[in-house]
Amino acid sequence: MNTIYTCILVGLVCGIISAFGIGGGSLLMIWLTAILSMEQRTAQGINLLYFLPTAVAALLVHNKNHMVKWKVALPAIACGCITAALFSWVGNHLELNLLRKLFGGFLVVVGFCEIRKKPKKQSDSSPSMER
Amino acid sequence: MNTKKSRPMVAGALAGAVNGLFGAGGGMVLVPLLISYVGLEDKLAFSTAISIILPLSIVSIVVYWLNGTFPLSQAWPYLIGGLAGGLLGGICFRKVSANFLHKALGLFILWGGIKLLI
Repeated sequence: MNTIYTCILVGLVCGIISAFGIGGGSLLMIWLTAILSMEQRTAQGINLLYFLPTAVAALLVHNKNHMVKWKVALPAIACGCITAALFSWVGNHLELNLLRKLFGGFLVVVGFCEIRKKPKKQSDSSPSMER
Repeated sequence: MNTKKSRPMVAGALAGAVNGLFGAGGGMVLVPLLISYVGLEDKLAFSTAISIILPLSIVSIVVYWLNGTFPLSQAWPYLIGGLAGGLLGGICFRKVSANFLHKALGLFILWGGIKLLI
């Protein structure tokens, strides 16, 4: 279950789903923790690294299409960097089992919201790239 | 301070906290906040969220690395697959019914959460 090919395949599937904008990052985390039973912290480290190349590629495309609202992004980044540093430190010092349970609780809430989400109109609401 | 102006800051701070603590989930918190709290359109919210989570993740990676959590040797096969998947997904972005995927994904996340809790 944990050969290089399986890893690449799982990465591929999560990458496709992420590109649809429906949280592929959490899928990889579930694979690593709930299915492979990997240590929670290591899985988190892998997931953070996993996000980087995909995000850079996506951002280059979105920015070129003027799809990034920098007026919103910049203040969010400024504050977010502080809490990210703080809570990453916390995440690295929490007891592993507690961290795992907290994440499990978070997933239950997120999963529940995802199921309850109202369906959107489809047809012509596909993202138009023309400007 | 003007509340309208401070809203992106609050949203960013929350996303940074979740993303740092769990190494995941920043987007799941941020996208709904950008839509309903900050007032961005759906499609702008998704792309703007990536621009916010990316630097936050870099900060988190540095802190994780300083604390000895830097599993690059285990991460690289996923990275390769992820990059290819991202490109592929970007190409067929418009052709998939997202509603079905949302439900399926929600169930899978719920299952994963329960599995971690018990």
